[in-house]
Amino acid sequence: MKVSRRTQAFWIAGAILIIAYAIIPVLWIISLSFKEGDDITNKSFLPSTWSWENYKTVFASDLFTTALRNSVGMSLIATTISVILATLAAYAISRLDFPGKRLVLGVALAITVFPVIAIATPLFDLWRNIGLYDTWLGLIIPYLSYSLPLSVYVLAAFFREIPWEMEQAAQVDGATAWQAFRRVIVPLATPGVFTAAILTFFAVWNDFVFGITLTSSEAARPVPAALAFFQGASQFSQPTAPIAAAAVVVTIPVVILVLLFQRKIVAGLTNGAVKG
Amino acid sequence: MAAIEMRNIVKEYGDGFKAVNDISLNIADGEFMILVGPSGCGKSTLLRMIVGLEDITSGDMVIGGDRVNEKAPRDRNLSMVFQNYALYPHLTVFENIAFPLRLKKGVPEDEIRRRVNEAADMLELHEHLQRKPANLSGGQRQRVAMGRAIVRQVNAFLFDEPLSNLDAKLRGQMRTEISRMQRRLGTTTVYVTHDQTEAMTLGDRVAVLRRGFLQQVASPRELYEQPVNMFVAGFIGSPPMNFLPAVVSGQRLKLPFLEVDLPAIAAGKVTDGQLLIAGIRPEHFEDAKVVDASRREKGAVFRARVDVTEWLGDSQYAYIPFEANEEVTKQLSDLAAELDSEALRTQLIISIDAMSRLRENHEGEFWADTRRMHLFDPRTGNNLTRDEAAAADLASLEEEELRERMDSSDTAAR
Repeated sequence: MKVSRRTQAFWIAGAILIIAYAIIPVLWIISLSFKEGDDITNKSFLPSTWSWENYKTVFASDLFTTALRNSVGMSLIATTISVILATLAAYAISRLDFPGKRLVLGVALAITVFPVIAIATPLFDLWRNIGLYDTWLGLIIPYLSYSLPLSVYVLAAFFREIPWEMEQAAQVDGATAWQAFRRVIVPLATPGVFTAAILTFFAVWNDFVFGITLTSSEAARPVPAALAFFQGASQFSQPTAPIAAAAVVVTIPVVILVLLFQRKIVAGLTNGAVKG
Repeated sequence: MAAIEMRNIVKEYGDGFKAVNDISLNIADGEFMILVGPSGCGKSTLLRMIVGLEDITSGDMVIGGDRVNEKAPRDRNLSMVFQNYALYPHLTVFENIAFPLRLKKGVPEDEIRRRVNEAADMLELHEHLQRKPANLSGGQRQRVAMGRAIVRQVNAFLFDEPLSNLDAKLRGQMRTEISRMQRRLGTTTVYVTHDQTEAMTLGDRVAVLRRGFLQQVASPRELYEQPVNMFVAGFIGSPPMNFLPAVVSGQRLKLPFLEVDLPAIAAGKVTDGQLLIAGIRPEHFEDAKVVDASRREKGAVFRARVDVTEWLGDSQYAYIPFEANEEVTKQLSDLAAELDSEALRTQLIISIDAMSRLRENHEGEFWADTRRMHLFDPRTGNNLTRDEAAAADLASLEEEELRERMDSSDTAAR
């Protein structure tokens, strides 16, 4: 089909507009993070002089480095557990017929629409009583309960796409149910597993509400919460530039993660398994 | 290798529908058994019950002397080729074929390599071993699926319409390939198909199923020559057998176009004036001009108007419409519906010499080999002219052939 010049121009203009809308705030934060001292008031987009000062400040502060360690640790643990549990649960939901299947799915979905803030206060009280307050576990548990339903949904959709015959073939070839699941179903659902993993990682990595309500010290405080406690180089200046630098630092792992796994996510699901 | 014995196998679904109804079938060691029938006849269900993917409601499934009803598929030591191949898309061809071996504990790596290469040799898959299934053609995928089936020593091979996804030319090639492979390995094989060419060419014996009931189990030749009922007679053969109304009149039988003596074998089973259905295969007709006198004596000659002719080079078909009464027409259209086809009009299809010059819409003189005519009871569909002695002869011939083949493959194995 031949696209007329006018439509083409329209599409290009539209694309540029949308990309600009999305990327300008990001660029702005990057530019801010390189502005030194009072340069943030220079009323121009780019810094007058490029400096690493803010990054040095950020990494020099214990507040940030311990928070980064907490964030990385908790996100990885929560993601791993969540994906493993979700894979098993999604498999059961897509393959087995058991009473209450619809109820399980319905409740799972209901949990995700629950506002996070509504549960934060009761959890705060509960965690304080049982000693989970301000610990990694105390954050990982609510992270799991919020990320699991979504992962189960994503994975159940992927499992449903895998033809039954795959599994039956494996059974006839001599596989136990577990072997068939691990050696055939899971590899085939890899794109789904990665999608679920990335979604979970994002959600946990960006969490602010739980991070700020369920922690009181550096013992478990994640980066988004820690940024709220940030102070600038001197007590009298707003820490805008260092916060920008910290934001850039915490964005990098997520970008790397997406670049790393995007091929896996895009990869076809049952390529050539059956006649295509 | 093992014999498979089914005793009164029933598959009943939750709603009370019986997909497989009281089927007893013995498959000898090394035999190539075909399960055939129109769609919905229960043939695939029966196959899946043998392999263990479907529960058996009642009856006994005995493989190699062991009752396997409660055994999981992996404990039955069978291999299966699925209709859509069910290859593992994330594994290479090599790993696909090696998969069953890798699941068995304690098979050393070089043993796996050797066995996979052996299978690949047999199926000419060598240059594709490192490719993924997605990059293979339909025929190649089909061969990989077969490779996965033959790579280990199994009690039996099971095929579930393995060729139905291939185009006609490839289907013919793969059919010979499967036959050759089975003869070479001498492994008991159960093969499900709805294609009667596959059924006739591959099977030592063919089991014809209809609505969950076993109709007849016999060699292809016996099915063709001595069918037990109208269903089998109509299912086997292409183009299908012609069914004509036939009225008993004393010692004679009146058909459209012709009148013949009542066959001796049916004499005691019919009453005067009874309406029967006569079945004559298209290939038992001929253009009277090309039949020599000695043969002509043995059949009947009649004149009829040809509606349409089809010339195929090696053969020629002529269509001759005839009038039939309502009862027969209904009977025939019911049968056609069951055979997944449609009877639009009552007509004779006859196969005549390709050399003969018949003209459409003209009368011609035809000869029918009435010795090979069958008579069916229109109510029960039973064949009144089945020659049990001849059928027994054919069965024993087939058995002898199988035994001979098994002996020779045994000596070859040694």
